[in-house]
Amino acid sequence: MREISVKVNGMVRKRMIKDNELLLDFLRERVEVRSVKAACWRGECGLCTVMLDGHLVKSCLVLAVEADGREVKTVEGITSDGELAPIQKAFVSHGAAQCGFCTPAWVLATYELLKANPHPSDADLVEATSGLVCRCGTYNQIREAVAEVSLATKGRHQPRESLARA
Amino acid sequence: MSFGSPYTTLPDFEYHRPTSLDEVLGLLKQYGDEAKLMGGGVGLIAFMKERLMSPAHVIDVKEVKELKLLDNTPGKGLSIGAAVTLSELLESGVLRKDYTVLHEALARVADPMIRRRATLVGNLCEAIPWVDSPPALIVLDATVGIEGPEGKRRVPVGDFIRGPVDIDLGPSEMVTGVEISQPKSAQSAFEKFTGGSEFSLASVAVMLSNGGRNRKAKVVYGSVNSTPIRSAEVEEAIKDGVTPGSIRKAAELASEKVECVDDVLATSAYRKHLLRVITTKVLRRMMSQ
Repeated sequence: MREISVKVNGMVRKRMIKDNELLLDFLRERVEVRSVKAACWRGECGLCTVMLDGHLVKSCLVLAVEADGREVKTVEGITSDGELAPIQKAFVSHGAAQCGFCTPAWVLATYELLKANPHPSDADLVEATSGLVCRCGTYNQIREAVAEVSLATKGRHQPRESLARA
Repeated sequence: MSFGSPYTTLPDFEYHRPTSLDEVLGLLKQYGDEAKLMGGGVGLIAFMKERLMSPAHVIDVKEVKELKLLDNTPGKGLSIGAAVTLSELLESGVLRKDYTVLHEALARVADPMIRRRATLVGNLCEAIPWVDSPPALIVLDATVGIEGPEGKRRVPVGDFIRGPVDIDLGPSEMVTGVEISQPKSAQSAFEKFTGGSEFSLASVAVMLSNGGRNRKAKVVYGSVNSTPIRSAEVEEAIKDGVTPGSIRKAAELASEKVECVDDVLATSAYRKHLLRVITTKVLRRMMSQ
């Protein structure tokens, strides 16, 4: 066992871990951030996606010990004032969550995409989220939610005329 | 705690994070085949979950500064350190012009999150028959730099991969990087078919050198057999020019002459069909460029 110190959503968390522990287990079991989902365990579904030092990673493919001294952000960390981010509101208004299991990962990934690229094309969106799976198949609703946020910041008035048809 | 169920846990190991090449070599000398090197960990962590590998020591090379080097010397070539990730390589832009075949192969590996972690050298050392970097590296005549207790040596990528999950590397040796000489007046491209799988069912890398009278073609197929396969017949068909006629002939020969295997991903008959399709696709694209 060794102690690691990881900044999770702005708070420094010190925990004892084993060298063979995954970042996914550290977050879910040791820090109890349960929005990070454990599903395929092999880097295919992307539902354990978190930000590690500013980049999206699949936490089932990262060792917990690798995060020592670094910063992790999950969906809880995207806003700090209790308000939902525009993309979260758009997920709600477009029904982009069905069972909701994959939603934290999709919100985080699309939030980061819109931050880096406020007006993503359809191809940009597909590429950026190609590592994520939604088994309810809400891809079109997610696409509309992203389009709404993109168009809102462009100052247009017809969010439905979206990149969904681009 | 949910730890304990199969495929979701890793075997016990001691984790090391050296910061210099000397330290890595020291650890390898000490632990030999009890140790595994980890770049992005994408392959190693998956192998460990499946218990295909249970190293007592995992040596993370991400912080080794000598291995982070990515050097592009125009007129000479590229030197890619073992800890350089696929994203770093793609975003640097060094591949785009002269190493198109490698750019096209790497840009479609898995997804952006995996590419942010995975390294070129890790991809190569896995030596899984269905990965995409080896065919591209072979047509580029890339070599693998190896260092160990006996000193340094350099091996062409085609010889480095000896078979499925079998590479030319001693227990105390490590791959420090990949080197590629800058191709002269050449055109190259990569094509693959995955059928939605994480792996390719068939891939092809093509390099056409059109320097004066010395026209040359190099064509290597991946994912259809235990190691990448070069096809002299297809090369012969296109070396004097890529035309609708030569494309038809090359596609025919690829399907007929390149030996394909049946495995968990596809049958050999299906792969032979795919060879015709991807050969046609890649050459049509090269013809129109």
